[in-house]
Amino acid sequence: MDFQFSEREELLRKSIREWAEEEIPPHMEAMEETGEFPTELLKGMGDMGILGVITPKEYGGTEMGHLARIIVLEELGRVCPAIPMAIQVHHMATYAFSTWGNEDQKKKYLPPLAKGETLGVVAVTEPSGGSDVAGMQSTARLEGDTYILNGRKCFITNSHHSDYWIVPARTGEGRNDFSAFIVEKGFPGAEVGRKENKVGLRGANTGELVFKNCEVPKENLLGNEGEGITIAIRDIVECGRPGMAAVGLGILNALMEEAVKFANERVLYGKPISKLQAIQWYIADIYSDLEIARLLAYRLGWMLDQKMPVDGAAPLAKQWICEAAARSARKAVEIHGSYGILREYAVQRLLRDALTAIPAGGTAEIGKLVVARAALSQFK
Amino acid sequence: MSERKQNNIWVFLEQREKRPANVGLELLGKAQRLAEPAHGKVCGVLVGHNLEPLIDQVMAYGIHELLIADHPLLEPYCNETFVKVLESAVKEHHPDAFLFGATAVGTDLAPRLAARLRTGLSAHCIDLELTEQGVVGVVPWPEGNLLGHVHCTRTRPQMATVIPGIFEMPKKTGFTGQVIPIQANLEEKDRTYRVLEITREKPRENELAGAEVVVAGGWGVGSKVDWELIKELAAVLNGAVGATRPAVDEGWAHEDQMIGQSGHSVSPQLYIGVGLSGHIHHMVGIKGAKLTVGINQDPEAAIFNHCDLGLVGDLKEIVPALIKAIKSYS
Amino acid sequence: MPGGLQAHYKKVMKTLRSIVCIKPVPDPKHRASFTLDPKTNTLVRQGMNEAINPLDKNALEAALQLRDKQGGEVIVVSMAPPGSKGVLKEALAMGADRLVILSDPAFAGSDTLATAHILSAGIRKLEPFDVVLCGDYTIDGGTAQVSAQIAEFLGIPNVMHIRAIEVTAENTLIVSSAIEQGAMKIEVATPVVLSVLKEINKPRYVTMMNILEAEEKEMEVWSASDLSLSEPWIGLQGSPTQMGEFTTPEKKKKAELLKGDPKEQAEILADRLHRLGFC
Repeated sequence: MDFQFSEREELLRKSIREWAEEEIPPHMEAMEETGEFPTELLKGMGDMGILGVITPKEYGGTEMGHLARIIVLEELGRVCPAIPMAIQVHHMATYAFSTWGNEDQKKKYLPPLAKGETLGVVAVTEPSGGSDVAGMQSTARLEGDTYILNGRKCFITNSHHSDYWIVPARTGEGRNDFSAFIVEKGFPGAEVGRKENKVGLRGANTGELVFKNCEVPKENLLGNEGEGITIAIRDIVECGRPGMAAVGLGILNALMEEAVKFANERVLYGKPISKLQAIQWYIADIYSDLEIARLLAYRLGWMLDQKMPVDGAAPLAKQWICEAAARSARKAVEIHGSYGILREYAVQRLLRDALTAIPAGGTAEIGKLVVARAALSQFK
Repeated sequence: MSERKQNNIWVFLEQREKRPANVGLELLGKAQRLAEPAHGKVCGVLVGHNLEPLIDQVMAYGIHELLIADHPLLEPYCNETFVKVLESAVKEHHPDAFLFGATAVGTDLAPRLAARLRTGLSAHCIDLELTEQGVVGVVPWPEGNLLGHVHCTRTRPQMATVIPGIFEMPKKTGFTGQVIPIQANLEEKDRTYRVLEITREKPRENELAGAEVVVAGGWGVGSKVDWELIKELAAVLNGAVGATRPAVDEGWAHEDQMIGQSGHSVSPQLYIGVGLSGHIHHMVGIKGAKLTVGINQDPEAAIFNHCDLGLVGDLKEIVPALIKAIKSYS
Repeated sequence: MPGGLQAHYKKVMKTLRSIVCIKPVPDPKHRASFTLDPKTNTLVRQGMNEAINPLDKNALEAALQLRDKQGGEVIVVSMAPPGSKGVLKEALAMGADRLVILSDPAFAGSDTLATAHILSAGIRKLEPFDVVLCGDYTIDGGTAQVSAQIAEFLGIPNVMHIRAIEVTAENTLIVSSAIEQGAMKIEVATPVVLSVLKEINKPRYVTMMNILEAEEKEMEVWSASDLSLSEPWIGLQGSPTQMGEFTTPEKKKKAELLKGDPKEQAEILADRLHRLGFC
C-alpha cells in the first residue's frame, strides 16, 4: 500500500493550486455578493484541463482519472468552495456522456464541455423530492421521432450557465421506468426558471429548469429506455458524491490554514492563543477531521480508478467529510472569537459553505441510509 | 604581529549625464577608511567620453589618483568596451580591491569584469570590512536575520558591488591627487551592442522620499484587511507608508513602498515599524531616524535591538488604540 | 519599421534555439518554515520545499514566447543536486523541450564564477544556440552575477535587467534594459546572453495537458566528465569567493519597552509623540 502521490499528482496539485490562488480571488467578493458564477473563469479552466479531467483524450479531455479529479477539486475548494461545487456537477455531465453516450453524442457534446464553452448539468431533483429519486414526476413520451418532455427540476447546480442538461424523466408506468435525455437549452419548450439565493457556496449557481412540452429529438436519448434511474444513481454515486467529498476536503484545508494562522497571530495573556490548551484541542479536532477526510477522499478516488465498486465508500466519504467540514468550521469560528463572525474573515463563509455542501448531492440522512445498506450487505 | 600589506583600493566612479553618481562618492569615503590603516592609495576610476568637467567634481573628495579612460567609443555605456579598458588598467596597476555601486551599470559591469579577471566579486554588500587578507564583503543572508561575510583571499583584485546609500558621502578636502590617463585601444567592433535610445521615465510620485514620518508594516500585519491599520496610522501622523519585502509579496503594499536592501532608504524624523521582525534586510534602509518605535508581539524580535521605544503586544489591539489616542490630541 | 517589412523578416527568419538557465531555490511561498539553529547559526531546513527561482520562470516564459512566435527549441539547463530533479521537471511541464541537469559532487560549493564556468561548459555542449536566457538574480542570496559571467566564458555579448525582447531581423534582437528611472533600448546580435526582470512577462500556468506531454520528454543528467571544463573554477576549491562566518547584525540599540496592556502602551506612546510634536 503506497500512500505517496506520484510525481504527476504532485505536479498537478502544484499547478492547480497556483492557478486557483491567482485567478479565483479577484472574483470572490462579487460571488459572495451576487451569488453569480464567474463565467470569465471557464476558458481558463478549460485551458488548464480542469473541465475535462475525466473526459477521454479523444474528446478533448486529459483522462487523468478520478484521484486526479479529487486533487483538482480539492485545490479549487481550498481557495473557494463554490467553484468546485459547480465544476463537480459539470463533471457529472461529462461522466454521463462518456459512460452512457453513443459515439455521436460523445463527439458532439464532450469537446465543448472540455473547452469550457458551456457548463454541464445533471438535473435529477424535483419538487416532489430529491431523496425520493423514484418519486420523480417529470414525464417523457415518444411521439414519432421526438420525445415530449414535461416537468420541473429544482436545486439544479449550473442551471443558468449550461447549454447541455442531462435530464431523467419517467417514460413508463412501472416504478423505476425512467430514461435519461440530453436536453439542449435551445430546444423548444426548455426554459430556465427561478434562481436560488443560497446562504453558502455562493457563486455556484443553483436554480430551476422547466420543461413545457419540450421537444427532444430521439437521438438525444442517453443510454437505453428504462436506464434513467440507473444512470442517475450511478452518476451520483460514482461522480457526484466523490465530487462533493472533494469540495468538503477543500473546505477543511482552508479551515485548517485559517485556524492555525489566526491562532498564531492572536495574542492574549501575552502570548499567541495557539499556546492555550482549549485552542489546541480545537486545532487537534480540525486536524483530525482534515487527515481522515484526506484518507477517505483519496482512497475513494483510487478505488474509482481501479474500477472497484464504491457503493459504500462514496456516500461514506461525502457524508462524513461534509459533516466534518461543518463541525470543524464551527470550531474555526470559535477560535476566531468575535472576529469569526465578521464578514472580512473567511471562516464564517467557510461555515456557510460547509452547511450548504451537506445536502448537495444527497442529504446526510440519505447518505447514512445508503451507507447502512452497504454495511448490512457487506457484513451479513 | 604581521604587517598588513599596502591596500590600494579602486573605486569605479559611475557618471550619469556628466555628474558623478552619489554611490561612487560614498564608496570613496569608505575606500579611504579601508586603505588608510596600511597606507594604501585610493584611486577613482572614470570611464567614458568628454570627462573633463568631472575631474574637479570628484577630485575634491580626496583621491590619490584619478584614472581616466576617455574615448569616443566609450559613450554610451557598453559593458564589453568598459571591461576591455578596465582589464588593461587593472593588469597594469594591480589594485588590491575594486569597488562598484550596485547600480544597473555596476551590477552588469562588475561581474563581467570579475569573470574577465578570473577574480572574486561579493555582490550587493551592505558593508565592507578590512582583515589581514584584505577587503571582506558583508551581505545580508537571505534567510534569517544574519550577515554573511564573503572572502576573496586567493585572487586579486577583491571586487565588490555595494548598495547605494549605505555609506556617508565623504567631506570635500583640499587635497588634489594625480590624474592618470588610461589607454583605451578600442575599435568599433569592440562595441558588441548598439544603444539606440536612452529614455528617462518621470519618477513615480514617491511619498517615502523625504518623508518626515514613516510607518512601515511587515509580514506580521497578517492580512490585507489589517494592512488598513498601517495606512490609517500613517495618515493620522501625516506620514508615508513603508513595507518590508514579505508585505509587498503578499500584495498588501506596492514595490515602491519597500524599504530596505532591495528597496528605498529613508531617514525620517519618526519611524514606526509594525508587525515586522526587524531583520537586517529592512533595517539597513532606515538611516538615522530621530525616533524609532517598534510594535511586535514577540519581545525577542530583532526590531527591539534597533529602536528607541518598543511596544510588545498584538498590533490589532495596539494600533487602533494608538490611532485613537493620537486623534485625541488634535 | 513598416508592417510589411516586419512581416517579411518574420517569414525569412530562421527558428530560434534558446537555452534557459534555471535554479532550484527555497520556495518563497513557504516563508514561515525557515528556522535558525541558534547553536550553529545555520538555517534548519526541515522538509524544505523547493521551487524554480521565480525570475527563471520569467526567463523560461520569454523563451517559450520566442518559440511561439518564431518556432524553434527551448532547452533548460540547471546546475543542481540530484534531489532537485522533481522541482526542475516543472520546466518541462511549462513547455521546455529538453531538460539538462549538470550534477556532480565536484560542483558542490561553487561560487558564482565557478557556477558560470560550469553552466557555460554545459551550454557550449548544446551549441549552436541563439539566445541564453537567465533571471537577473535568484531569491536565495542572488548575486545577480551569473548571467554576465556566463557570457564572458562563452565570449558573447550580454545584456541585463531586461523588460522586453523583440526579434527584429535574422540574428538581431532589440531589448529594453532598465536603468535607474529609465531604460536603454539596445540592438544586439545573436548569440547573446539576456537576463530578465519580472516585469518582462507573466509566466504561463502549467496545464494538465502540459503535464502529460512533459512525461514524454527527456531529462538528461551530465556530470563533470561529460563537460569540457577547461579551467580550474569548479566547486569549493575552485571558487575565488568563499562564505566565511555568519554573524548577527549589531544590536544598535536596546529599546525601552513600554509597560501596561496594549491600550496603556498606546496611550504612553501617543503622549510621547505629542510631546515631541508629532501629533
